[in-house]
Amino acid sequence: MPLLSVRNLSHTYSNGYKALHNISFDVEAGEFLVIIGLSGSGKSTLLRCLNRLIEPSEGQIILNGTDVTHISDAALRRHRASIGMIFQHFNLIPRHTVMSNVLYGTLGVTPTAGSIMGKFTQEQRARAMSALEVVGIPDKAQNRADALSGGQQQRVAIARALMQEPSLLLADEPVASLDPATSHSVMSYLEKINKDMGTTVICNLHFLSLVRQYASRVIALKGGHLVFNGQPHDITDEWFTTIYGEDAVEVEIR
Amino acid sequence: MRVIATLLDAILGAIVVSLITQIIVPELFEISVPMWIGAGLLAAWLVVSQLRNASIGGLFLGLAPKATPSAIRANLGWLAFSVAIVSGWIITEIAPLEFFSADGLQGAGRIFRDLFSPEMGVVGEALNLMVETIFTALMATVVAVPLSFVLSFPAARNVMSDTTTKKSVYLGLRALLNIMRSMEPIIWAIIFSVWVGLGPFAGMLALVVHTVASLTKQYSEQIEDVDEGPIEAISATGATKLQVLWFAIVPQCVIPFLSFTIYRWDINVRMATIIGFVGGGGIGSKLIQYQNKGDYNEVGTYVILITLVVWILDVISARVREALR
Repeated sequence: MPLLSVRNLSHTYSNGYKALHNISFDVEAGEFLVIIGLSGSGKSTLLRCLNRLIEPSEGQIILNGTDVTHISDAALRRHRASIGMIFQHFNLIPRHTVMSNVLYGTLGVTPTAGSIMGKFTQEQRARAMSALEVVGIPDKAQNRADALSGGQQQRVAIARALMQEPSLLLADEPVASLDPATSHSVMSYLEKINKDMGTTVICNLHFLSLVRQYASRVIALKGGHLVFNGQPHDITDEWFTTIYGEDAVEVEIR
Repeated sequence: MRVIATLLDAILGAIVVSLITQIIVPELFEISVPMWIGAGLLAAWLVVSQLRNASIGGLFLGLAPKATPSAIRANLGWLAFSVAIVSGWIITEIAPLEFFSADGLQGAGRIFRDLFSPEMGVVGEALNLMVETIFTALMATVVAVPLSFVLSFPAARNVMSDTTTKKSVYLGLRALLNIMRSMEPIIWAIIFSVWVGLGPFAGMLALVVHTVASLTKQYSEQIEDVDEGPIEAISATGATKLQVLWFAIVPQCVIPFLSFTIYRWDINVRMATIIGFVGGGGIGSKLIQYQNKGDYNEVGTYVILITLVVWILDVISARVREALR
């Protein structure tokens, strides 16, 4: 049984724009799946449908054999808590410490009242510290999150996601606001989490060179349709033109 | 041709202006100053219409192609403006002669002399009342802040947009706050001085109502302005709605909220002095008594003290708000 099964997923925005057309694919546990496609092709919408930050209009999302498209609010929160997510703009809470930001990864399993009083357990604090060790910045724990560099902020975001002990990690353009050197650093942390902890990763990316280096499988979206599903080395020049259009030229990031 | 067109414009303009102003204010022809003003504006209107090649007079002489619809609209706009200024002059009872009359100037000299030779005997009493005013404003702000904080979330569009029920609560709350805010604190003070009796408590309640309405609006606009990113990130951890409010929205708002609050206390001190005039306690209540008795030396003491305190608070609050940024 696949870890995640997406069946005939469609999404239409309230303004009538249809961002996703009948998307189906499976993800096996342990894969590093990369989603490619032009800006506006529906990558971000697809990723957000998986943890229902965006409500799918049609179709099913089946995680570990459970359809999560029609579940109670409490079950939806449990579903979200089991999936980590990182973002292009890191989305940390400014002015709060790195430690607090990492602890916020546990909000889904911490009672509301207790969390608002700031009651995080010693065990949670210890886990937050080891999550920061995984991404190599335990010394920044007491710094303000917005005082960190972009690459460091993204690593805090990864640590926050690790606090959820996720079976699946979603990454929406995780390196699109970073410089090339930092991009590789962040991607290698994702690779480490994928390989060492066995966490399945689904990641939106722009640069094909990164795709070839990190992806175990690739799917491509074009205008909301799934147009490619295969191995990174199968993306020939022909496919490249199909996915990115006639005028596109591949840009490398090394 | 152009001269005839201008002449036609002048006659037409004069007829229209006099007709309209006569309907609004029949006294127009008894007063000469507004006539001159009206004539001046009319002349300006004519010049503009000529410059823009949109003369209405020209229209009658077959120069129609030059009169574009937008130029005619601009012409009519100038006409409406002229009428408004002429009527305004009369309704406001503007009387330049009275401003410079010997009698008037003598009165002004007397009041300024009294104001600037303050009665030092009432300084102690004035200081006591000033303290009452400052604390009235402080208590009003302190009571209003938690109320505004709680109300600002249901008054923010981005928090209330997901269901129809929430949207209607948002719209209802917004309408209520607008009504509360359009009623000046001085009106609320009159209401509360009857409700709880004259004194600083009535003044405080009046300020609470106005402060809640104003702060809730400012707070909620700040909430509408927050970055959506952290909201997504916190939601993605499986957090409840309340946790999203507390961990994603509130941290982005704390500093602006503080800044608004300090500024509002500053405004409340000014309002608290005025509210005293209608029974809201504090320094204004005594000031209005001296004014009614014509004790302008005492009034002077009070005015100088109020100006001083308001100025000092203004400087302090500006400094604090600057430091918060």
